[in-house]
Amino acid sequence: MFTAAPHIPVDSCSFAVNHPADDLVATVDTLAPTSDHELMLAVRGGELDALGELFERHHGPLFGFLVKLTGHRAAAEDIAQVVFERMLKYRHTYRDEGSFTAWMYHLARRCASDHFRKTNAAPHATDPVDLQHHADERPDAGETASTGDDHALLHTALARLDRDDREVLLLSRFQELSFAEIAGILECSVGAAKVRAHRALHSLRMVYLKLQKEPLT
Amino acid sequence: MTCARIREHLPSLLDDRLATAAAREIRAHLAGCPDCEREFTTLSQTLIALDAMPAPTPSPRLRARVYAAIAAEQHALRNPVTSAEPAAPVARKPATRSGRSLWFWLVQPLAAAALLVLGFTLGNRSIPATAPVTLPSATPTTTPAAADAATQRELADLRKKVDSMSQLVGYSLLQQQSRSSNERLRGVLTSAAVEKPDDKTINDLIGALALDPSANVRLNALEALYPHADQEVVRAGVLTSLPREQSPLVQISMIDFLVASRDREATPALQKLSANPQADLNVREAAKRALTQL
Repeated sequence: MFTAAPHIPVDSCSFAVNHPADDLVATVDTLAPTSDHELMLAVRGGELDALGELFERHHGPLFGFLVKLTGHRAAAEDIAQVVFERMLKYRHTYRDEGSFTAWMYHLARRCASDHFRKTNAAPHATDPVDLQHHADERPDAGETASTGDDHALLHTALARLDRDDREVLLLSRFQELSFAEIAGILECSVGAAKVRAHRALHSLRMVYLKLQKEPLT
Repeated sequence: MTCARIREHLPSLLDDRLATAAAREIRAHLAGCPDCEREFTTLSQTLIALDAMPAPTPSPRLRARVYAAIAAEQHALRNPVTSAEPAAPVARKPATRSGRSLWFWLVQPLAAAALLVLGFTLGNRSIPATAPVTLPSATPTTTPAAADAATQRELADLRKKVDSMSQLVGYSLLQQQSRSSNERLRGVLTSAAVEKPDDKTINDLIGALALDPSANVRLNALEALYPHADQEVVRAGVLTSLPREQSPLVQISMIDFLVASRDREATPALQKLSANPQADLNVREAAKRALTQL
C-alpha cells in the first residue's frame, strides 16, 4: 500500500543549528496549503518549510506513540527525529493519493523496527523518567493506588505485551486512522488488522488486571 | 452466538470504526450474561485508561534537530554543487585532481602576475597625486618605517570597516522581524561574531532576547551576550527578560547566565521564580540551585 522507504540505521544525524517553528509556519501560511496531504505534497515539491508545520501538528501524538511503543523517552525522541528526517529524505515517495498520517506511522514503524533491531532488546517495563508517575513505591502503595499508579501500571502492562500487539493496539487508538490504513501500515489484510487489534486489547486487559492485583515493586 | 464468540466481538462495540451487524445481538447477550458484561466493562475500563494516559512531551531538542534537518536539506537544495561534491564518484577524483594541478602550474602564475601588474598600476595612480600635496618639504620617497605604519593604518581602517559592515548586516537582519527566524538567527550570530560590538549591537541582542518570538533566536542572543556579562546593561537586560520568558530552556539558560555573572541583583527574581507554581519544575529547581550559588 505504501512505497517502502529503504531501511537506514537509526544512528543518524545530530545537528548543531536550531531553527524554530514559528516563522516556518508563517511562511507556510502564505502558501495556504491547509491539509496535511497538501502540506506534504508541498514538501515533496521542494517547499521544505511545510514540513515544519507538519512537525508542529504531528510530533506530539507521534512521540506519544513511540514512548508507549518503546517504553523509553530518549529512544522515542531519537526515533521521532529519524521519522521526520526520513520524511525529508524520501519525500519523493509520498503519493498523490496518500494519507499523510498513515505514511508517517508507516515510517515510524520502520524506524522503530530499526531501533529494536539495533538495540536487540525488548522495551523495559519502566523508564526511569516514568518513575515519577509512581506517587509512592512503598509496599502498601498498592492499597492507595492513585491515578499516577494506574498510568504506571498501564505502562508496565503495555511493555509486557508483544511488540506486535502493542503496535497494533496503539495504532488502533488513533481515530484518524482507518483500519484499512492501519492494515496498510502493518502490511496485512484489514481483517487481520482487526483481529490483531482485538486480541491485543484482550491481552492488555488481562495483564493490566493482573498487575492491579499485584502492585508494582 | 456462544459466550466465546461474543467476547471475540466485544472490542467492536467500543470502536465506531468496527461497527458490526451483530452489535444488536451482542448487546442483547450482554444484558443477560453477567460474565460477558463484566468482561465488557473491564475491556472498556482498560481502553479508557489507555486513552487517558498522559501525553508525554519531547524535549526542545527534538524540535531543534528536526528544524536543523529541514534547514540542512534546504541548504543542500540551494547549493546542489557543494552538497553533491562528497557524493561524486570516487573514480572521477583523479581526473579532477590532474585538472587542478594543471590550473595551479599554468594559469595561476599568470593570474598572479596580472594581479601584481594591476596592483602597481593602481598604486602609481593614487600615491603620486597625494604625496606632493601632503609632504611638500619632505623627502620625495617614504621611509620603510613610514610605509609600515601606513600599511598598519590601512589594515586597521579595513578591519574597522569589516567590523562595522558585519554590525550593519547584524542590525538589518535582527531588526527585520518580518523575516524568517532563520535570518534573524543569522543576524544574532553575525552580531555575536563582532569582536567589539557597539552599544547598538548590544541593545539589539538584548532586544532579541526579550522580544524575539523564536526561542531559538532568544537562546542564541543570550549566548552572544555571554562575553559581555560584565556590562551592567547586559545583566539588567537578562534580568528584565527572565520574568516574561515562557520557554523553560531559555529560562534555565538565563538563570545560568545570571549565576555565571554573579549578579546578586537577580536574587529577588530568582526567589520569585523558585516559588512560582506556574513555572516549570526544572526551572524552579534551577532557580533554587542558583540562589544557593549566588
